[in-house]
This record gives sequence, structure tokens and C-alpha cells, in this order.
Amino acid sequence: MDTFEPKIVAFCCNWCSYAGADLAGTSRMQYPPNIRIIRVMCSGRVNPSFVLKALSVGADGVLVLGCHPGDCHYLTGNYRTRRRMAITKKFLEYMGVEPERVQVSWCSASEGSRFAEVVSAVTDDLKQLSPNRLFND
Amino acid sequence: MTEDLEQKLRDEVRTLLEKGKIEHVIGYGEGSLKFATTPIMISDQADVDRLVINPFIHNNLSVLLPEVSGKVAVVAKVCDARSIISLVQNKQVARENVFIIGVPCNGIVDVAKVEKLTGLDRDEIDAVTWKDDRLVVTFAGGSKEFSAPEVALDSCLDCDCSGFKEFDLVIGEITPVAANKELSRVRIKEMEAMTPAQRWEFWKNEFSRCIRCYACRQICPVCFCERCFVEETEPLWVSPLPRWQDNLIFQAVRMMHVAGRCTDCGECQRACPVNIPLGLLTGKMEDIVDELFDYRAGMDKDAAPLMAAYEPEEAEDLMR
Repeated sequence: MDTFEPKIVAFCCNWCSYAGADLAGTSRMQYPPNIRIIRVMCSGRVNPSFVLKALSVGADGVLVLGCHPGDCHYLTGNYRTRRRMAITKKFLEYMGVEPERVQVSWCSASEGSRFAEVVSAVTDDLKQLSPNRLFND
Repeated sequence: MTEDLEQKLRDEVRTLLEKGKIEHVIGYGEGSLKFATTPIMISDQADVDRLVINPFIHNNLSVLLPEVSGKVAVVAKVCDARSIISLVQNKQVARENVFIIGVPCNGIVDVAKVEKLTGLDRDEIDAVTWKDDRLVVTFAGGSKEFSAPEVALDSCLDCDCSGFKEFDLVIGEITPVAANKELSRVRIKEMEAMTPAQRWEFWKNEFSRCIRCYACRQICPVCFCERCFVEETEPLWVSPLPRWQDNLIFQAVRMMHVAGRCTDCGECQRACPVNIPLGLLTGKMEDIVDELFDYRAGMDKDAAPLMAAYEPEEAEDLMR
């Protein structure tokens, strides 16, 4: 199991976290290559069905990244993300999805280092779990 | 007691129709099966006597509201009335077009529970009536009494009708149901005590039976999307293959979509032909929404829908 490399789908908002990922890259910061970034215009675009779809087609974890609360490009999009994802996390946990598999964080365009930290931390979390077999028996 | 209420309801509805205050009324009529009622819509005063009130008025009639135009009266228990307010909050119906007629209920009787408790088939039971807060079941050779929490639908057990003030007219007196919140959460607590793997196994077992008939969705008053995500093919959210995981995805996403609108009325569980305990999901969702955001669906018509509002500081402990 020590060779388990989780696949993580990261939904990054166009204005903050995607630019944060870009900054981490252009600054040559090191972070695990486990994430697959999907750019969305706002983290508020992320429907709970996106999370379940990602998990059902083979992602070991899902990471939703948005602007810090109060800094949303669309003013209130990430507040809505926060409500929706808090419910999604709690509810999926109740259904039997380990809470580590669905994570939400905030990262601004100037926080390349934070982006690298979050990705490392989420990858570490998921390495503690076994590969996601929930949707394929 | 119920005869009086029935008569009062009929008189009130007749007056409302006569005065032109309403064009139609949606209520309960005698069902074709024993111990069942059926939804009826009445527009003519001559038909008013078809309305009934009895311990089996289980349907949540608010599901029919968005399909009816004009001013409509609805016969509603508190849970149904909360669904109506939920629809008003979400701009699916206009408050001024709905006239909510509140009817008291001690909890809707689950005939299956009565059968189990008495050991009789429903054909062998003669009558089931409320006598104050006791349910009296009479059958050939005797009668038995039960308390409301013993015989009510699971979803009635956590009913809290205090504080609901949106009725336009109340028939009789709405008294708090003999609810037992603790009892209603026993199974949810058991679920929470399991490990995630055990819970997944539990739901695997349940959702393996799902035939994806979508009865839960059709009967749900607050599942009002014109196009459901399960019918979208590009992208395909739920595979048409009969995999239990896709059954689960459908239900999980449905639950998350109705969070903050669902009043835990229990209709989805009642409609399910394969008896999936959906009340365990709706009940938990109600608890999550209450715990995280201190929100109860359908209580205040002026409150913003849960997902359309926010507080600057909330739920941050769940974020990384």
C-alpha cells in the first residue's frame, strides 16, 4: 500500500485558486503530482453531482478550491459554495464516504505556496486511506 | 371527533367557494382501498361532501400545487403546510394564490404498524379512530388502544408543529403531536455509530433494491426542477446501467439538491415500492441543516431559501 498514489480531482475557481496554482507552477514550487485540475469560473459552480461523478469514475478524492470568503470575484459565490459543500461533506460522510475524500479549501491568486501546502496535505490525507473502491464492485 | 371536523371542513370550503374566495380546493377523498385516502380536487360546491378527514390522510398535497392555476385552497397538515411555504420561499407558487386550510393530526397512522401490533390483517380490522391522543382499533371480538408514537408514520415522530403560523384557516385545534424526537432518531444514531465502511455496506444493501422508478422524486413537493439531472445525457451524471452505485448517486444528489427545502414529510419513503428507508436520509439532512445553519425548511415564508443565503462566518471548521 505504500505505493498508493491517490488521484485527486481539484475544482479550482478561475479567479483565485486557478491563478494560485499557476503561481505555484511558475514559482517552481514543489507539490505532489496527484491532482488533476478542472477549472471552473467560480467554486459556486460545483454541484454535488460533480463530486459524486468524480468519485464514481475513479477519483480517490475531490478537492474544491475557491477564493477566500469575502474575496469572491462574483462577491458571494464562495459563500454559497461553503453552504453547499458543508452539506455535501456531512451528508456523504453519513452515507459512508470517508470525510477525507471530499475537501474544500480557499486559496487566493497570490498564495502559490498555500496552494502547494493544501495539495500536499490533501494528498497525505488520502494516502492514509485505501484506493477508492466505493463505486466499482 | 373526526365527523365534526369533516363537517366543519365541508362547510368552510362551501362558503369559500360560494364567496369566490377560492376557485378550487385540493383535499382528501375516500380511497378505493381500506384505510386509505386519495387526493381530490374540487371546483364545484356540489362535490364538497366528498372531502374527508381521517387518520389516513397521508398524502402531501402540496406537490399538486404548482400544476394548478388560479386561487387554490389546500387541506394541509403542518408538514404539508411547511412544504407549501417551502414552495413559496422558492417562488414556485405565489402565497396569495394559496389558501392553506390547516387540519389537526395526531400523527398519520401507519397501517402496517397497526397490523404488526395487533397481529391482524387490515381486512380483519373494522375501524381505526382517534380518541383524544389514543388510537382505538376495533375488530371482531374486541378493541385495542395504542399511543400515537406506536402507530404513527416514522416521519411523524419528530413532528414539531409549534411555531408554525402560516395557516389561513384552521379546522379544529392544532395541538402538538405526541412526538418523540429521540425515538425518531434511534436508527440515525445507530447509523452514525457505524464506521464509514459499514454505512456504505448498509446503503449498498438498500440501494441494490432500487428500481429507479423515481416515485420518490415525483411525489416530492420540493423536487420541482423541470429537468432532472438524471435525465441529462451530456454529461451523463447517472449511468443508465442498473448499478446500485448509480441508484445511490441519484438519491444522494437528490437529497443534497432538496436540502433546506425538504421538510422530512416522509412521502418519499412512503412512495418507495421497495421500502428503502429514505427517512434515514431526509431526517439526517434535516439535522445537518439545522445543526450547521440553524435552519428549518418551510417555517417562514419571508426567509431566504437556504442555498440562496449565507452568513459571513459559518461552517469554516469543515473547510481545510
